[in-house]
Amino acid sequence: MMKKFLASLLVAVMTAAIFTGCNKEKKEEFVVGFDAEYPPYGYMDEKGEYTGFDLELAEEVCKLNGWTLKKQPIVWENKDNELNSGSIDCIWNGFTINGREKDYTWSVPYVDNSQVIVVKADAGIATYADLAGKIVGVQAASAALDVLSDEKAQKALADTFKELNQFADYNTAFLELEAGSLDAVAMDIGVAQYQINSRGGDKFVILEEHLNAEQYGIGFKKGNTELCEKVEKALTTLKENGKFDELAKKYGLEDMVCFGK
Amino acid sequence: MSLFTIISLMSEGMYRTVGIFVLTLLFSLPLGLIVCFGRMSKNFIIRTITKIYISILRGTPLMLQLMVVYFGPYYLFKMSIGEWRYPAIIVAFAINYAAYFAEIYRSGIEAIPKGQYEAAGLLGYNKIQTFVKIILPQVVKIILPSVTNEVITLVKDTSLAYTLSYLEMFALAKQIAAAQTTMVPFVVAGVFYYIFNLLVSVTMEQFEKKINYFK
Amino acid sequence: MVYLKMENVSKKFDDLEVLKDISFQVNEGEVVSIIGPSGSGKSTLLRCATLLEMMDCGSLSYLGEDAAIIIDGKAVYAKKKELNKIKENFGLVFQNFNLFPHFTVLKNITDAPLNVQKRPKAEVMKEAEELLEKMGLSDKRDYYPHQLSGGQQQRVAIARALAMNPKVLFFDEPTSALDPELTGEVLKVIKSLAETKMTMVIVTHEMEFARNISDRIIFMDKGYIELEGSAEEVFEAKHERMQEFLGKLTKNV
Repeated sequence: MMKKFLASLLVAVMTAAIFTGCNKEKKEEFVVGFDAEYPPYGYMDEKGEYTGFDLELAEEVCKLNGWTLKKQPIVWENKDNELNSGSIDCIWNGFTINGREKDYTWSVPYVDNSQVIVVKADAGIATYADLAGKIVGVQAASAALDVLSDEKAQKALADTFKELNQFADYNTAFLELEAGSLDAVAMDIGVAQYQINSRGGDKFVILEEHLNAEQYGIGFKKGNTELCEKVEKALTTLKENGKFDELAKKYGLEDMVCFGK
Repeated sequence: MSLFTIISLMSEGMYRTVGIFVLTLLFSLPLGLIVCFGRMSKNFIIRTITKIYISILRGTPLMLQLMVVYFGPYYLFKMSIGEWRYPAIIVAFAINYAAYFAEIYRSGIEAIPKGQYEAAGLLGYNKIQTFVKIILPQVVKIILPSVTNEVITLVKDTSLAYTLSYLEMFALAKQIAAAQTTMVPFVVAGVFYYIFNLLVSVTMEQFEKKINYFK
Repeated sequence: MVYLKMENVSKKFDDLEVLKDISFQVNEGEVVSIIGPSGSGKSTLLRCATLLEMMDCGSLSYLGEDAAIIIDGKAVYAKKKELNKIKENFGLVFQNFNLFPHFTVLKNITDAPLNVQKRPKAEVMKEAEELLEKMGLSDKRDYYPHQLSGGQQQRVAIARALAMNPKVLFFDEPTSALDPELTGEVLKVIKSLAETKMTMVIVTHEMEFARNISDRIIFMDKGYIELEGSAEEVFEAKHERMQEFLGKLTKNV
């Protein structure tokens, strides 16, 4: 009994070691950090593979540069730690430039985004004025939160809310919205569209007014212009050969992409 | 997405969760004993250091310790931490649990009557023989229920590895839930943790029964 | 031959002087009982003799081998290695047995001879069987201590000490932790040992017993040896503290 137990323990440990062991390859690795709970830019598909507009784009960039792509899902709050410590080469994940201009070395913008507010379709909220005294949710460390806390942006609006709650992921946010513990959720328009469509399409609506207009870029560690330029160059090629727009279409983002415009 | 697909997608995460669990126990159980000896040492410096160690590791959140162990080497020494992610998780878990185990061991060792040491000493057993042959088996019996508690907590704590973006089962469940906008993965996760812990308790119960031949 | 010799022993716990300049010796084949009120220092004396406590001052030797000598008014002990060798000369039976709870009766008796003394297994087993027989515990060899009565446990403890073949066997109030109806069986065993001329030092409250089996009795009070002599000499002595002590005992009964 004991021997068997020890034997199986040993096997478990050894396989765990193999499993975690890194297979070193000669090709240069390009590690993209992304929030895997952020469809349609980065998420897990039915086969358990990470996919999304940003990740497929990254894949194409790697092909052009002869790199191996490593998709590293990260906890969004830890993105700066991961980037600064070199665990990832860039943050490429519907990453808003506005308000973070000085914090990273940015690629040129490739998506025009807006921060919007999603409410329940039958909540009777149509304008920002209706949000007064309501509880609004926003993802921690997100661009939407920045917009709502910036004096020069929408801080005044946020001040009319009863509460501004921070949540960790969109799934729970929508659950809370549905359950009524949140009245509204602020997020990127692309994410909002994906979430609403995959939840039946008619339960939630996006308010017409947008909180801001902003742009997505790829964020590199401050000063890493060399890598940034290589990626940008590859993106230009992809734009020229039509691959970029093909992918945008695949993910329903063709109206929003702005690279090369 | 069918339940079967969800489970098969999560199975790799379950495997990783079990991996963290096994490796943490493998390292923290013996490390705890060393810390415990330090805590009970006659040397003031060693005793104080281990006291501080235990106090910090029990007094701060495991999540924070995970981040310190993983990101610390970079921020303190500008070291590259690319391959350090998984080892960091195991190290953080092991040193954290070692602190708890050390205190459990200590409570067990201190519960052994002085007479046992005296009797062993008079019969000529040396220090190591006395500890291994006479004291340890009695300590094991005393501390088993507390250890079981700690082990069950560990099963659930493994999910904290997500802080370092390690895809153990709970992180996977969250990602699948996000992409599929469904709560099913969380139900699967709950069932998994429950069955895992059921196995742990049954195993420990068997062990307790086995060791119940003396009082 | 002098088996145990202690001279000028003193011992303090913090500020409390428990032993004050005590000297005594035990000869081969002698049974010595130490009696006295609680707090008189008799248990401490026994613990000093068995190296469980360190003397502040005093010398200690077994069969002529020094375990401690006096240098500049302080007890200086021999090296650990030598002490370990000297330890083989004596055994101790505790008040509360201190059997190893996770060992069977047989293992309690045989483990140290086998793994410490490293004696041949056949010889140890044969001796253990004989000891169990002597203690009337042959049918209990595979029991664990918690399955035995206090009296049986104490008999196992005696067998465990004897299995090491000590020259001197100490008893520290061997019946104090027992129910009154169980003391008899233990005393009987000790008595049978006395008949085999086993050298023994017994700290006890059993006055009748001490009187019956002792070659010599030591009466201690407040850290001093007040009286020493044959059973008759001590019990009949016109000594105030002794008579007071005996009086108290009879009153209690």
